[in-house]
Amino acid sequence: MDYRNILTVCPYCGAGCGLYLQMLDGEMVGVLPAKEHPVSQGKLCIKGWNAAAFLRHPDRLPRPLIRQGERFQEASWEEALRLVAEQFRRISSRYGPEALGFLASAKCTNEENYLMQKLARAGFKTNNVDHCARLCHAPTVAGLAAAFGSGAMTNSTPEFSQHTRCFLITGSNTTEGHPLIASHILKAKQQGAKLIVIDPRQVQIGRLADIYLCPQPGTDVAWLNGLMYVIITEGLADQQFIQTRTEGFDQLWEVVQQYPPDRVAQITGIPAAQLQTAARMYAQNKPAAIIYAMGITQHTTGTDNVKCIANLAMLTGNLGIAGAGVNPLRGQNNVQGACDMGALPNVYPAYQPVSAPEVKAKLEAAWQVEGLPEQIGLTVVEMIHAAGQGNLRAMYIMAENPLLSDPDIHDARQCLEQLEFLVVQDIFLSETAQLADVVLPGAAWAEKDGTFTATDRRIQRVRKALPPPGEAKADWEIICLLAQRLGLRGFDFAGPAQIMEEVARLAPSYGGVSYERLDREGFLQWPVPSPDHPGTPYLHKEKFTRGLGRFLPVHFQEAAELPDEEYPFILTTGRSIFQFHTGTMTRRSPKLEQEAPEPYIEIHPEDASRLGLKMPGKVRVISRRGQIELTTRFTEQIRPGVVFIPFHYAEAAANALTQAALDPVAKIPEYKVCAVRVEPIGQS
Amino acid sequence: MKENELVEILRGCAARKLPELDGLLGILRTTEGAAPYVFHHCEELAGLVLSPRYPLGGIVRVLQARYPKARLGVVVRACDLRGLVELAKRGQVAPDRLYLLAVACTPEEAQHCRCQRPVPNPTGWPQVEVLGSPAAAAEAHPLLVQNERLGLAERWAFWRQEFAKCIKCYGCRNICPECFCQACALEDPLWVERGILAPPFPTFHLVRAMHMASRCVGCRQCELSCPAHIPLTVLYELLRRDVAEMFGYQAGEDLSAQPPLSLSLTEETTPLPNP
Ligand code: SF4
Ligand code: SF4
Ligand code: SF4
Repeated sequence: MDYRNILTVCPYCGAGCGLYLQMLDGEMVGVLPAKEHPVSQGKLCIKGWNAAAFLRHPDRLPRPLIRQGERFQEASWEEALRLVAEQFRRISSRYGPEALGFLASAKCTNEENYLMQKLARAGFKTNNVDHCARLCHAPTVAGLAAAFGSGAMTNSTPEFSQHTRCFLITGSNTTEGHPLIASHILKAKQQGAKLIVIDPRQVQIGRLADIYLCPQPGTDVAWLNGLMYVIITEGLADQQFIQTRTEGFDQLWEVVQQYPPDRVAQITGIPAAQLQTAARMYAQNKPAAIIYAMGITQHTTGTDNVKCIANLAMLTGNLGIAGAGVNPLRGQNNVQGACDMGALPNVYPAYQPVSAPEVKAKLEAAWQVEGLPEQIGLTVVEMIHAAGQGNLRAMYIMAENPLLSDPDIHDARQCLEQLEFLVVQDIFLSETAQLADVVLPGAAWAEKDGTFTATDRRIQRVRKALPPPGEAKADWEIICLLAQRLGLRGFDFAGPAQIMEEVARLAPSYGGVSYERLDREGFLQWPVPSPDHPGTPYLHKEKFTRGLGRFLPVHFQEAAELPDEEYPFILTTGRSIFQFHTGTMTRRSPKLEQEAPEPYIEIHPEDASRLGLKMPGKVRVISRRGQIELTTRFTEQIRPGVVFIPFHYAEAAANALTQAALDPVAKIPEYKVCAVRVEPIGQS
Repeated sequence: MKENELVEILRGCAARKLPELDGLLGILRTTEGAAPYVFHHCEELAGLVLSPRYPLGGIVRVLQARYPKARLGVVVRACDLRGLVELAKRGQVAPDRLYLLAVACTPEEAQHCRCQRPVPNPTGWPQVEVLGSPAAAAEAHPLLVQNERLGLAERWAFWRQEFAKCIKCYGCRNICPECFCQACALEDPLWVERGILAPPFPTFHLVRAMHMASRCVGCRQCELSCPAHIPLTVLYELLRRDVAEMFGYQAGEDLSAQPPLSLSLTEETTPLPNP
C-alpha cells in the first residue's frame, strides 16, 4: 500500500495553482488542491480538478509517426530522429538557416523552451524561434518594456487579497480565464475593495462589480484617455510620483486633453457621468491594480492599449507598491516562462537582445559556438506566411497547434502545406500534427520534471508522477537526442535540474534559481539575480527598470475592420471556463467536455429577434474570410450589434473568421474585432 | 494543550501502534509541503503533523476499495471521525478494519473553525484512541446568527448574491468526504443546466445542500476549497439544525443511529458499491 502525494502545478492557465497528484501504488487516483500554496490556497477551478483527466486518454501518442503518402506509419525513435536530422541538415545547407523555423511552447517547461531556442540559435544559427505568446501578450511586452523597461506583470496575485483597495479590470473575463486570480479579487471585494469592470461583455466579474462600463469593442484608447482626462482635470493625479519618477507628462497632457468625457462617450458609448465616477473611484482608492488580458492586447492597437494602461497607472502613482500595478494575466501555464527563456525571435533568455554584440559574445562563449545570428528572426505569423511564400522550408513545432489558434486558419493550413518538411512534437495528433511529416510523441505535464513560470513571475517546480505512455519521451529529452544526432555540443544534460543550472548562469533575472531552492522555498519570483536574493514580489520599487517611467501618449484609431451593411456585427472571441485554448486537452477530459461540448455564439436577444433566430437554434456566421455554423445562446450580457464566439472548437473554429491584420509593433493579430454577418439555418 | 505537544504525543502513539498495522494514514510534512501519506515505518513519523487538514475520509474509501483486508490506521480529528461514521453507515468504509487515533482540536482551532463539536466522540466505533484535552464548543458563525434573524425573502437574496460568485469548480463536492456518488445530480442536465456561469440559482447549490442534509458533518472542507469564498457551511449548518429538530438526528455522532432521510427513501439509498 504505497499512497503518497506529489506536489506539482496546474497545466492550464497562468495563475499557477498548486495541486497534489494522489498516487496509489504508482497509479494516479486523484487530484487534491495544495492547501498551503500561496496563490491557490487549497482551491482549484474545474480545470485544475480535472487536470489529470486526459493523461491516459487512448488518443495519446505512444510512438513516433512518419508520413507515408496520405497515412502515418509508426516508427522507432532511431528512424524518426534520423529523418528529422537529415532533413533539417539538408534544408539548412541548401537554403540557409533562414529557411528553418522553430516554435517553442507555452505548455512546455522552462527547460524545454530554453533548449528549443538553443537548438535554433546555437544549432542552426537562426533566430526564427517564437511561440504563441505572440498571439496573446506580445503588445504587453512591447508596451510595458517601452514605458517601464520590463514587460512583465508588475505585482503578485496574493497581493490582491492582502493589499489592493481598488481593481480596474478590462478585457479579462477573470472568473473564467484566470479563476484563482479572481478568487483573490473576490476576497478583496468581501473585505471592502472597490471593483470597476470595463468590457464589451458583462462577464461574471462585471456582474459582481461596483461599476460596470460597456464600451464598443476596439475603443479602448479612447476611454483610457478619457479616464486620464478626468483624473488630471479634477486634480486627482499623483503629482509627486509624476515629478519624481516619470518623464513625458506634458506630452501626455497634450494628447489626453483632447478626450473630454463627452467626446469619449461619442466614440465608446460610455456615458460621461459613468466614466467620471469610474475615474474617481480608481484614483481615490490606493493601492489600485489594473488587471487585463487578451481583450486589451488582441487588437491592431494592442500596443497602444497597453501604453495607455501604463500611463494611467503612472498618473496615479500606482506602481512600485504592493497591491497596485499593471497586471497582464498570461493565458497559459508557462507563457511567461517561454518568453523568459528567449523563445522569441528578438531576444535570448531574460530578454537579452540578439542584436547586442556583448550578449552575442557572452552566449557564444557559454555555448561554445561561433557566428550566432544577430538579425531578428521571424514571428509565428510571419513564419507561417513565409512558409506560404516558399521562403521557409522546414518547421519544428513543439506542443503548439497554430492551425487552430492562428488567425485566418484556412490560409494557415495552405501555408503549412507548402513546407518541405514539418516536424510536430505533441501529446496528441493535433490539427497541426496531422499535416506533419514526422510526429514525435512528447510527455505531458505530469510525466516530466521541470519548472513553469506563472503570470506573476513565479517560478515553480512541476514534478514527474507517472511515466509517459508507450515510448513517448519528455520534450527536453527529445531535443537533446536530436541535437546529439546532429552532432551538436552542449545538449548532454542529465536532467532538467542541470538545464536550469545553465539557465541560471546565462539569464541574469534567473541567476538565483536552483531546484534545491525551489524545493525548499516552494517558488521564486524573478528577478532573483543571485542565490541569496529573496526574489521580487513587485517590480519598480523606488526606481523603474529603465530609470524613469515614461508616459507614452497615444491617439485613438479605429479597428482595422468595422461593421458595414454586408457584415453588420462586430465579432469578438474569447474563452469558456470549461475549455482551454484549442481544446486538445480539455475536450478529452469528460467532466470538462460535458459542460460545454458544443460551439456556440452569444448574441443579444434584440438582435436575435430581429434576425428571427431561435434558441436553441443553428446559425451560420460569415466573415470576409470564412464561415462556421454554431448553436445560439441569447444573452443580455453583450451589447446589441456585438456577438461572441469562444475559440476552442475545431469544428467551428472562430479563427476561420478572424483576420490576420497585425499590430504594427507587436505583430499580434486582431482577434477581438472583426465584422461578420449572422444567418439562421434550417428555421422558417 | 499546545499543538506541538499534541503532535509529540501523537507520534508516540503512532510509533507504538504502527507495527500492528498495514499502514497509517496521516499528514506528512517534507521540505516541499504537507499532504496525506500512508506511513509504514517508525522513522517516517518525525514528519507526521496535524495540519493542514485534508479530507481523509475520501482517501480511506479509496484505500479500502483497493485493500479490503488491510488493517489501516488513520489519524483523525473530531470532524474526520464523524465523516467516517457517516461513510460507514452508507457502506463506503469498513469500520472493523480501521484503527483511529483521534485527536481533540485545541480551543484556538475550534474557534477558528467555529466548530460546535471539537472533541472526538467515538460512540460505537470499534477501535479508537482519543488524544488531547477536550476544548469547549466555539461560538456560532456570525453569519449563522444573522441568517436566523433574516426573513425568508432576505435569506433568499443573501444566498442569491453569494452564489452569483460561484465559478462552478465543483470543489465543494470534490473535496467533501461525504460526496461519493458515481453519478452526481449536479452534473445531470435534468437538474442543472450545463455550461453556465455562475451555475443556475438555486438548483446547483440547493440540490447539493439537500443531498448533504443528513450527511454533512461540518468539517468545512467545502468552504475552504471554495474559490468564491461562499460561506457554504453556514447553509449546511442551518440544514443540520433542521434535521436535528425534525428527526432528532445528528450526523456523525453515533455509529448505530440510522440516517433518517435514507430510511424514508428506501429505493434511493441502496448503498452504492465502492468505486
Ligand atoms: S485557475 Fe488556472 S492554474 Fe488554477 S486550477 Fe484553474 S486553470 Fe489551473
Ligand atoms: S462541511 Fe462541507 S465538506 Fe464537510 S461534510 Fe459538510 S458538506 Fe461535506
Ligand atoms: S466550491 Fe464554491 S465556487 Fe466551487 S462549485 Fe462549490 S460553491 Fe461554487
